[in-house]
Formats: sequence, structure tokens, C-alpha cells
Amino acid sequence: MFGWLFRKNTALSEVVNHFINTPFPASSTPVEQANFLVLDLELTGLTPRKDHIVSIGWVPVRGQEIVLAEAKHYLINSPVSVGQSAVYHGLHDHQLKNAHDLAQILTELLSQYAGYIFVAHHSRLDEQCLRFACQRCFGKAPRFRFIDTMQMEWQRLLRQGKVVKHDALKLPNCLKRHGLPDMANHHALEDAYSSALLLLSQLKLGGNTMTLSDLYLLSR
Amino acid sequence: MEVADVTKFLAETTPFDQLDAAALGQLSAHINVYYYQAQDSVKINTDRLLIVRTGIFTLYSDQQQLLTKLQNGDFYGYQQLLTSLTDSDTLLCEEDGLVYWLEAEAFHQCRYQYKNIDIFFQRLFSRRLHQYSEQQQASRFTLKISDVVQQRKIAIRPEQTAQDAAKLMSDSRVSSLLVEENSKLVGILTDRDLRSRVLAHALPASTQVSQVMTRQPQSIDRHAYLYEAVQQMSQHNIHHLPVTDQGLCCGMLTATDIIRSQQDHPVYLIGEIHRQQSTDGLERCSQQIAALAITLSKQQVPAYEAGHIITTITDALTQRLIYLAQQQLGEPPCVFSWLAFGSQARMDQSLNADQDNALLLEKDPVGVVGEYFSALAEFVCQGLAQCGITLCPGNIMATNPELRLSLKGWSGRFARWIATPTPEALLKASIFFDLRVIEGSKGLFNALQEDVLQRTTEAPLFLYHLAQAALQRTAPLGFFKNFILEQDGKHKKGLDLKKRGISLITDLVRVYALYAGIHEVNTRSRLQQLAAQGIIDSKDGQNLNDAFDLLAQLRWEKHQHDLQNSHDVTNLLNPAEVSGLARHQLKDSFAVINEAQNRVKHRFCREL
Repeated sequence: MFGWLFRKNTALSEVVNHFINTPFPASSTPVEQANFLVLDLELTGLTPRKDHIVSIGWVPVRGQEIVLAEAKHYLINSPVSVGQSAVYHGLHDHQLKNAHDLAQILTELLSQYAGYIFVAHHSRLDEQCLRFACQRCFGKAPRFRFIDTMQMEWQRLLRQGKVVKHDALKLPNCLKRHGLPDMANHHALEDAYSSALLLLSQLKLGGNTMTLSDLYLLSR
Repeated sequence: MEVADVTKFLAETTPFDQLDAAALGQLSAHINVYYYQAQDSVKINTDRLLIVRTGIFTLYSDQQQLLTKLQNGDFYGYQQLLTSLTDSDTLLCEEDGLVYWLEAEAFHQCRYQYKNIDIFFQRLFSRRLHQYSEQQQASRFTLKISDVVQQRKIAIRPEQTAQDAAKLMSDSRVSSLLVEENSKLVGILTDRDLRSRVLAHALPASTQVSQVMTRQPQSIDRHAYLYEAVQQMSQHNIHHLPVTDQGLCCGMLTATDIIRSQQDHPVYLIGEIHRQQSTDGLERCSQQIAALAITLSKQQVPAYEAGHIITTITDALTQRLIYLAQQQLGEPPCVFSWLAFGSQARMDQSLNADQDNALLLEKDPVGVVGEYFSALAEFVCQGLAQCGITLCPGNIMATNPELRLSLKGWSGRFARWIATPTPEALLKASIFFDLRVIEGSKGLFNALQEDVLQRTTEAPLFLYHLAQAALQRTAPLGFFKNFILEQDGKHKKGLDLKKRGISLITDLVRVYALYAGIHEVNTRSRLQQLAAQGIIDSKDGQNLNDAFDLLAQLRWEKHQHDLQNSHDVTNLLNPAEVSGLARHQLKDSFAVINEAQNRVKHRFCREL
């Protein structure tokens, strides 16, 4: 359905331009009016510059509701072997044979969710990977707005005067702390969904008056 | 693409557990997930189905009355989706939780596609609690007279001759005739009567039927259960029973009819009981009751019919013991009625019931009369205990001299309870107001019952206190934490189906029955009568009846489970073992009970 985008090489960067030209909501927007896209990437390693995306999962949150109809999970063709990382995400090379082109998936992501605030658990890694991937596919990368559920959890615990232990910020432990069903299992969509649940709980804890700028502060 | 956590939850939730993986995936694509914090109020008129995933939500009526609590696997909004009527209820989040919102379109599609899911929500909506009742076919155990009796009536007039009778029998190929005068049954005549009363006495063929027939025969209603007929035949040692329909005779039931329709059946146990010559023999018979109960359950006999059957067996044991006692003690010095109270009287006895009985005597229990009935009561009660029907811990038994009274004595006792009621006294006494005659004089018993009902219908203060006593316990609102769990002596915990359910309904219905002066004692029959007479709304009656059946069914199944695992039979249900459907039904039953209690409160407990 995005075939038109691939007709000319120049069209590819159009996607990025479209994303760049779509404004993000104002910082004063109440959080319940903002649109979020919670995503998770599984990678061949932890170094964004040289590692590759193996799979990507996402689910949008609109009006504080997770919209399962748009939940997506894609396996990505990788130029190198998944190697040892298979231990974590369970995806082996032979499974990736029917996978999608990275450019195709990034095109869907950028064209459908322009103007969305992106959310991930430990978002810095995901953000960098996305930017490198865009750079590789389109020759340029947009700026994303990212919210980090892990960072928000850390701030919350600090404010409560708690000593934050090693492991306390891992996704399964956060879910448990919030009394949410724990299904996090290094599957990109399941983890994105779990992070979305965590986000809903965190937004509620922030109260009725919370705006996006409060959220950016919390997630720094 | 589907999220495994969502589809997995749906796959474990009634009624979606019937869907295959593909259908579950499609369904989950029409779900939005929302997180509520405690104190949030849920927007309920959204034209979507709410499915509770985690947390606790409390539903209040527009008068802020707490209706029910929703948790994991419960639904809300199907009312509006099914009827397009908006609700004035409010739903408040009590404990943080996730809910799934299913789009109306997907909900309807699912209903059209899967009949069982449609039925589930329709039932949930209409509070119809029998999901499976239609599937229960008439089993052999629950045959009624009307199922087996020949659909033809062969009758003769009393002034006709023995020869006419013999010819009619031969022509119609039957062994017995009904004798009717002006469409009224006056006797029966069997081929055996022709032999032993006509031929053997060398009477002429012109002898009138009225001279040799059996006058005022036993009869039975065509809607009665077959085993009741067998019970009656065994008890009176007869082989022919005229069948009546609304008081008019409509045919004849013979022992052969019964044997033809039965192979293995409680009737045989009852028949066997009536042939025993000693208490030991009866004990051997009673050992088959547990096995019979298991068979009944395998045959999917509904609980209320099983209760009926078990009561009939207890009745038979009692009757035979009274017979055996009389063999030993001689003829009774006066007319008497053996009474049963409580569940035996109501004919909903369970396997762990104890004895509740008494004696109603024609004369005052002094001198010879006193001694005779003391001995009879001792014989019967100890005999019943030997047969596994345990002695009453509250000493409500005929062996208690306080409970062997003349008509005047009983009447006086009831009059005191009714005229000067106290709540504590009524808590204990309410059991006495469900009474039925098991053996002996029906006339004596009827006199007492008339007397009691005449008093109760005109005693608002008594009804006030009886209603208060009936409202002392309430049904649980849901399965939360431990607060509904009772503890028995052995530190087992569970939901007491009797105390927190069945008894509440029995108590409520008794209040109405005594108010209306209804003769029936069985709770279901009382409800039918109450609805028929317009004392209660017929829909309310049906709801209570359904709730009663459901609770009795769950208790019956629990008892089966206990029996098969050789546990003690108890009424304590472990909520963790309750299936999804039963949980919804239980919750609805409790809601029905709460509503009914409120109505009783408004009707009988206004300030006097």
C-alpha cells in the first residue's frame, strides 16, 4: 500500500520530510489528548551504530486507550546473522527469511504515526537505532519525541525516597510493581504492549492535570 | 496482529473460551485497553462491552445502592448492547485495574456467529440461570405417571353386574376397572376380585359391581413422579392405582406399567425397604443410598428431583420403621401422625440431612399413651440413625417428650410462637413451620395445619419478626478476599451454599407462604402458588425459583464430588473451584436473593 513511495528514490526521503513537517502537539497539551506510539525493537546487539533491527512491535495509545486493532509485529531482514542475540529474542536466521525490508516497515511507521509521541522502555537505545536505521534507508533521519517509561519509573521511585536497586527498573519488575499482568518476554509486540500498560498506569498516577511538558520532564 | 496476553485471557474467559485461536485473534483486534485507578468512575454508556481484566469495580444503582462487584472475567454493558436501553447505574473503580472495551460491532458479530455466546449474554441479561436445563432430557429416574400410564380409561358403573365387568375386562384386555358413578370414582374392581370375591364365594354372575368392588381406593395425580406411585403401592400393598387429573379420574396405573418402564431405579430400593422385616435389613437398604445418589447424578437428574427422591426414601424408611415398631409394640392406643419438619417436610432433603421429626397424637401423652409413643419414637429415631440419618443435634426429634403432643398441645405451642414472637425464639422455631405428615392420620395433621395457617395469616407482628429473622443473614456480593468464607469445625474454608444461599430463599418464601396461608411446604411449590395467587410477581417468583435451583444444583454437585472422593459431605464450596459460568450464575443468584430480601423488608418490616 506504500508502493507509491518506492517508485522514485527521492520519494523515500519524502516519508521523512512528511514526518518532520508534521508538528508534535504543544507541550501544554493534557496527556489524555495526546497520541502515543509505544514500540519495542529486538536487535542483534546493544551497539546502535553497528547492530541491526531483527524485529519491531508497536501499539498506539489514543485517548489513554491502547488500540489493539493497530498492534503490529514485523520481522526484519537483517544484512548479518542474528548470531548470539537469538538467545534473547528467540529469532533465528531461518525464521527471518520471510521477513520484511526495513525500509518498507520504517515507511509504514513514519507515514502512519507522524505527530505521535513515541514511547519505549529504556528508550535511548530504541531511539538511536531508529535514527541509524532511517539514515541507512532514507539518507536522513527525523527527530523523534520519545518518552521513556523506565526513566519515569526511576523518577517516581526516587521521589518516593526509595533506594532503586539493580533490576528494579526492568520491565517485568515494573509491571509487577504496578499490579499489571506480566507477559514481557523479549517479543517485540508483547514488550511494546507491556510498556503501553505501564504507560497507562504512569499517566494515571500523574493525575488529571498532567501535560506533555510534565511528561518530558519526568522521562529525562 | 494479536497480543498474546489478550488472546490468552479471552481464551480463559467464559463464554469466549469456546472460540478457536483464529476467532480469538479477530476478536482481540476490536479491543481497546484502558487502565482505571481506584475512585475513577467508569463511563458506562459507551455502546461497548466492558470486560474486566484486573482490579475490582463496584456497581451502584441510581439510588446509590450497592448492586454488585465486578472483577476478573466479569462483564458490563451487555444490557445496553442487547436492548439499546441506557442504564442509570454508576460503576466505580475500587481497586486499580485494566479493562478491555470490545466494540459493539464485533460483539454483535460474535453473537450472530456463535449461538452459545449469544445465549450466554441473553441469559446473563435475563437472569435466566439454567444454561443447560434444555439439554437435560427426561431420564428414567424422573418419569412421571403421565409418561407411562395407558392413555385410556376403562370404567364401569356400580350397578352393573360382575358378568358385565368380566366381559369388559376381556374385551379391553385389562385386569382392572375403574368404577364410576356420575363421573366420580367410587371404587375399583380387579380380575382378582372377581375370582376371590365372586367365584370363591359362589356368588351369581348377576352380583352388582358395587357389592364386590374395593371402595374409596387410593389414587394418585397424573403429574406425580412414578416413584411416588411405587411408594404408595408398596406402602399399601396394592397393584392398581387410579390416576386423577385435576380431581377427575383419567386412567389406571398398574404395577405392570411400572415394571415395563423401569430397569434400575430408586423404586426398587423403595420397594425393598417396604419388604424388610428388621432394622438391620433397613440399614442394608440404606447403604445403597449413596450409590443411588451417584447414579442419579450420572443420569443428570436435576438437584430438586434428586432431593425429592432422597426424601421419598427417608419417608419410606420412616414408614417401615413405624410399621416394625408397631409389630413389636402392638397396635397404637390412639390415632397419631408422624410429622417431619425442615428439609424432609419440604422434600428437598440432601445427603447430609439430620432428623427433624415429631409426633402429633389424638390424646394427651399420659399413662399408656405416653409410654407407647415414647417407645415408638425411640425405636424409629434410633432406627433412622442406624440407617445413616443422624440424630438431630438440636434434639428436634419425636424422642423429645416436648415434641410428642396432642393436637391441643401443638396448637397451643404454635399459638404462643405466633402471638408473642421474639426474634431469637423464631430463629429456632422457623423450622417448625415447614411440616408434613409422613405416616399415620392425615386428618389429624390437616387439623393442625389449618389451625396454624389460620393464625399466621392474621398475625402481622409474627410476620414482622419472622421476616426479621429471615433477613438476619445476607447473600455475599461476590467472591472477594475471604470475607464470604465460612469456617467449619475442621478449619476448612469456603462459601456455605446452604447458609448463604439456599436457606435464605427458603426463609423468605416461608414468610410469604405463612402470610398467604399456603398449604404447600416445598419451596418450589410454594413459589408457584404464591405467583399463581398474585402474592408475588411471577417474574420475581421465577427468578427466585431459578436461583434456588442453581444453588441446590451446586450443592448437589458438591455432595457428589465429596461422595466420590470419600470426603465428608459438606455445603462448603471452594470459590477457586467454581467455573466461570457458575460464577456468573452464582453472582446473579445472590443479586436475586438480595432483591427479594429487600422486598420482604418493605412488605413485612415497616414500623408497626
